[in-house]
Amino acid sequence: MWKYLFRRFLSMLFTVWVISMLSFALIQLPPGDYVTTLVNQLVATSAGSSTISSEYIEQLREMYGFNQPMYVQYFKWIGKILTRGEFGYSFVYKRDAAVMITERLPMSFALSFASMILVWAVALPIGIYSAVRQYSLGDYIFSFMGFIGLAVPNFLLALILLFITYKYFDKAMIGLFSQEFASAPWSMAKFVDMLKHLWIPATIIGLGGTAGLIRTMRANLLDELNKPYVETARAKGLSERRLLWKYPVRHAMNPFISTIGWALPGFVAGDVIVSIVLNLPTSGPVLFNALKAQDMYVAAGFILMLSILTVIGTFISDILLAMLDPRIRLQ
Amino acid sequence: MTINEIDLALADRASGGPSTESDVRIEVATQWQLMWWKFRRHKLAMFGGALVLFFYLLAAFAEFFAPVNFTTYNEQYVYAPPQMIHFFREGKLAPYVYGYKFERDPVSYKKTWAIDKSVIIPLRFFNHGDPYKFWGLFRGDLHLIGPVNASDPFYLLGADKSGRDVFSRIIYSARVSLTVGLVGVAISFTIGILVGGISGLVGGVVDNLIQRLIEILISIPTLPVWLALAAMVPLSWSALRVYFMITVILSLVGWMGLARVVRSKFLALREEDFIMAAQLDGVPRGRMITKHMIPSFLSHIIASITLSIPGMILGETALSFLGLGLRPPVVSWGVMLQDTQKVAVIAIYPWLLFPAVAVIIVVLALNFLGDGLRDAADPYQ
Amino acid sequence: MADNNNLLVQVEDLKIHFFTNEGIVRAVDGVTFDIHSGETLCMVGESGCGKSVTARALLQIVHRPGKIVDGSIVLYRQKSHDQIEKVRISDLEPKGREIRSIRGKDISMIFQEPMTSLSPMYTVGNQIMETIMLHTKADKNQARARTLELLEFVGIPRPNRIIDEYPFRLSGGMRQRAMIAMALSCNPRLLIADEPTTALDVTTQAQIIDLIQGLQKDYDMGVLFITHDLGVVAEIADRVAVMYLGNVVEYSDVYTIFNDPQHPYTQSLLRSIPKVTATREKLEVIRGMVPSPFRRPSGCPFHPRCPKAMPVCSEIEPKTISLTENHQVHCLLFDEDAKKPVREMAS
Ligand SMILES: Nc1ncnc2c1ncn2[C@@H]1O[C@H](COP(=O)(O)OP(=O)(O)OP(=O)(O)O)[C@@H](O)[C@H]1O
Ligand SMILES: [Mg+2]
Repeated sequence: MWKYLFRRFLSMLFTVWVISMLSFALIQLPPGDYVTTLVNQLVATSAGSSTISSEYIEQLREMYGFNQPMYVQYFKWIGKILTRGEFGYSFVYKRDAAVMITERLPMSFALSFASMILVWAVALPIGIYSAVRQYSLGDYIFSFMGFIGLAVPNFLLALILLFITYKYFDKAMIGLFSQEFASAPWSMAKFVDMLKHLWIPATIIGLGGTAGLIRTMRANLLDELNKPYVETARAKGLSERRLLWKYPVRHAMNPFISTIGWALPGFVAGDVIVSIVLNLPTSGPVLFNALKAQDMYVAAGFILMLSILTVIGTFISDILLAMLDPRIRLQ
Repeated sequence: MTINEIDLALADRASGGPSTESDVRIEVATQWQLMWWKFRRHKLAMFGGALVLFFYLLAAFAEFFAPVNFTTYNEQYVYAPPQMIHFFREGKLAPYVYGYKFERDPVSYKKTWAIDKSVIIPLRFFNHGDPYKFWGLFRGDLHLIGPVNASDPFYLLGADKSGRDVFSRIIYSARVSLTVGLVGVAISFTIGILVGGISGLVGGVVDNLIQRLIEILISIPTLPVWLALAAMVPLSWSALRVYFMITVILSLVGWMGLARVVRSKFLALREEDFIMAAQLDGVPRGRMITKHMIPSFLSHIIASITLSIPGMILGETALSFLGLGLRPPVVSWGVMLQDTQKVAVIAIYPWLLFPAVAVIIVVLALNFLGDGLRDAADPYQ
Repeated sequence: MADNNNLLVQVEDLKIHFFTNEGIVRAVDGVTFDIHSGETLCMVGESGCGKSVTARALLQIVHRPGKIVDGSIVLYRQKSHDQIEKVRISDLEPKGREIRSIRGKDISMIFQEPMTSLSPMYTVGNQIMETIMLHTKADKNQARARTLELLEFVGIPRPNRIIDEYPFRLSGGMRQRAMIAMALSCNPRLLIADEPTTALDVTTQAQIIDLIQGLQKDYDMGVLFITHDLGVVAEIADRVAVMYLGNVVEYSDVYTIFNDPQHPYTQSLLRSIPKVTATREKLEVIRGMVPSPFRRPSGCPFHPRCPKAMPVCSEIEPKTISLTENHQVHCLLFDEDAKKPVREMAS
């Protein structure tokens, strides 16, 4: 098992490395470089009162290292992140990108995590029910609801929710905090307040995922129910209920657990778009604005961190899998 | 005496004897047939398939099905609410809608639209209305239905902020939204089958490398990347270029899943008994691939494709909704939904959400269809 | 050979139909046989003729669209020293308590696929102990001790290590031995072995068959052995039931079946065994294929492939005819009543 986990860990590091390069590539994508943008910004704000000398621009370039080859720039960027936790400067917000990330990322994490827990808590029992009672009325109803969940884009759900609260409830229901806590420092009370608000966006984000997971669980379990070892267990004289939980459900759990890996990117994506619509204080809106304004250090930082979050999630699912499945543990 | 031969003989007979050339053909034919029978039994999938076909027909003949062109506007009827269509008047088939009038809200004193039952706007099937160039090629002005008097308002699903017909725009949008799915899938399918095919056929180190790469790419959250790439599309680009760029961006994210399906299919098929059997019977390798591998494989691929179109459609809608995807004057369901970003707007003009209904129906139908195809493609159930 | 005091299971006119969307499949269509303790009944027949379905019915574990529609299965269960209880298995609720107390205890079963018949998620010991603790009052330690005993008994080397091993780390032969150990764990009266050696190599096959034969002697069990392999039948069977498309077409002791087969199907089956002689002849194969279960031929289902088919065979379903007290044939050739009227009409 340690060998396996070590291998997975190495592959995780490799993945993070590739992701960091992709994120860096993002910074390079917009035409011009950071200095050009900065200069434009300066010119715009100082409203032409002073022109910026080309020497100064060169100086800036020198300072940021834009004259150096690409790989040097990359190592400088990643080096600063690794050693000093510096993600660069946001010229839109005029703040340190790192501060913005530490402010927003935990919220994204909390929201994604809450969505995942919710999805599991709902999808697992329904998936089992639907497989065991295949073609029953309940199975049809859940399948239908699952299809709807797949088909309704989550930003639309967010919109509908917004609409309902706008019309019928007070507006404070939607954010992540009640008014009195919104700008208060962290405390137990604030945390509890957040948990109380979290479930609404978590439900919206999780709905599509729930539908997918129910179908996965149902299909897996249906597969497992016909396996010979189930027949063996039945021929032993085990009751249907005991047999179900000990054998096929346990087997079908495997793909379920590995969904942490592939479902997390979905939750993060859901978090981004739903937060934009509902204007929640998570990564979404900041990332969105940064991208629109081509505030690339902020955008790259967020994308890097969000991706790392999902990679870590995958790693955790690998650990869980290894603990659950002797075939992986003992290989 | 060990009598394994009889086992073989018995097993052989069960599988229809040593397969000859003609047997192989029959097997393949019946495989498709079996799938079709299985698919036909899947009522929901049949229904989904019919709906999908319907929507693609709408998209193909948008000029004809839409009462007016999608750019046609009338500032007199900004945000006019939907009209109810009536087909019979005085017992005869004579479609009509009621006209509009302004009313002042007795409380807020705001001007609002109301249906004026005293005004009857007659409609006509196969009406000569807005002139158009069908597919940019043929001139025409025939529409399935339209007001007899061209200047009369006819807004089945209401009007938007410029007084354009939401219904017509939804139909024209289908053209963009649905083809984004098709073109996107075609691109990601090409990449996917190439990469997955190489991975599955070559195997070894190459396979390992490709699998690692796919793992990495899959673990990157799609939406932020879509957003990032879409945000980079220069504002100065033409609508068509943006359209292709967005499609490419969407498909860049979708190919990994397909590549995995293709690879696992190749691997599984290499092991499958019937391929072994064919090899034992001396069927040449080339025929083995075309007669045995492709059919069993194609069906799965078709199912996967059908199931990945909805993701593309939803992706385009989300991007355009956020203002990072397609841009006016191109009209897609996502572009239309941009108008609904403000809650206040939805609250007063809820019919602007109709494009979302179209998205949901199409995505549902594609999912039904794909599910049925997948079930039918699975020979062991 | 076997007197009625030893009667263990009696199956009479058993009919099992599968109610599929495409139609009703008569997988088992009127099967009669019985099994005595200390005796091996071999069931042979081509793929799909209903052997496994029949075997499963004895435990009431027929797959979902399948249902026992007619006939009876009676288990004679030793209640105390001289009291025998009749249990009508065919009437029991498949999920009920009573049949569950029979499964694994009075009747146990070994399946064809040793590779997948044990769950890879739990150790061999866990899965065997589970059966013991389910049917006896043994606690964990006792069950473990018994499991070790059993593993040793079925010839597994180093049972102390294997007991905590996961099935996927064992060879096919070892797994099948573990399966046998599990099946034996509660001293069953009847052991059903559904092609237990098909998935194994020849040497292992012989070992497993020897093992089962030895166990039967030691435990005085009844064994229902399902196989394709007539060589095995010749080796271990006391009696043989030859099946074709849901019917037992011929049922007798092993000597009669091999030396004096009466049903044309049994005859062709035996002729298709290769004989090693100086001049090698082409192996005779029964012509045609097993018909699709949905297109079951009318009359005698074997008639399209039967070398001795008569016109009447496509019209009348044959009855079971007793040639002697322990030799039954399901064939119109021996049914004088059925043959007569047709001949008269023809002349
Ligand atoms: N789940 C099912 N659905 C429909 N028909 C079934 C099902 N299971 C079995 N049958 C039918 O029952 C018949 C007998 O099947 P069975 O498994 O008993 O054959 P068998 O004699 O054991 O063959 P083999 O030697 O291949 O194991 C099959 O021909 C099939 O038509
Ligand atoms: Mg069988």
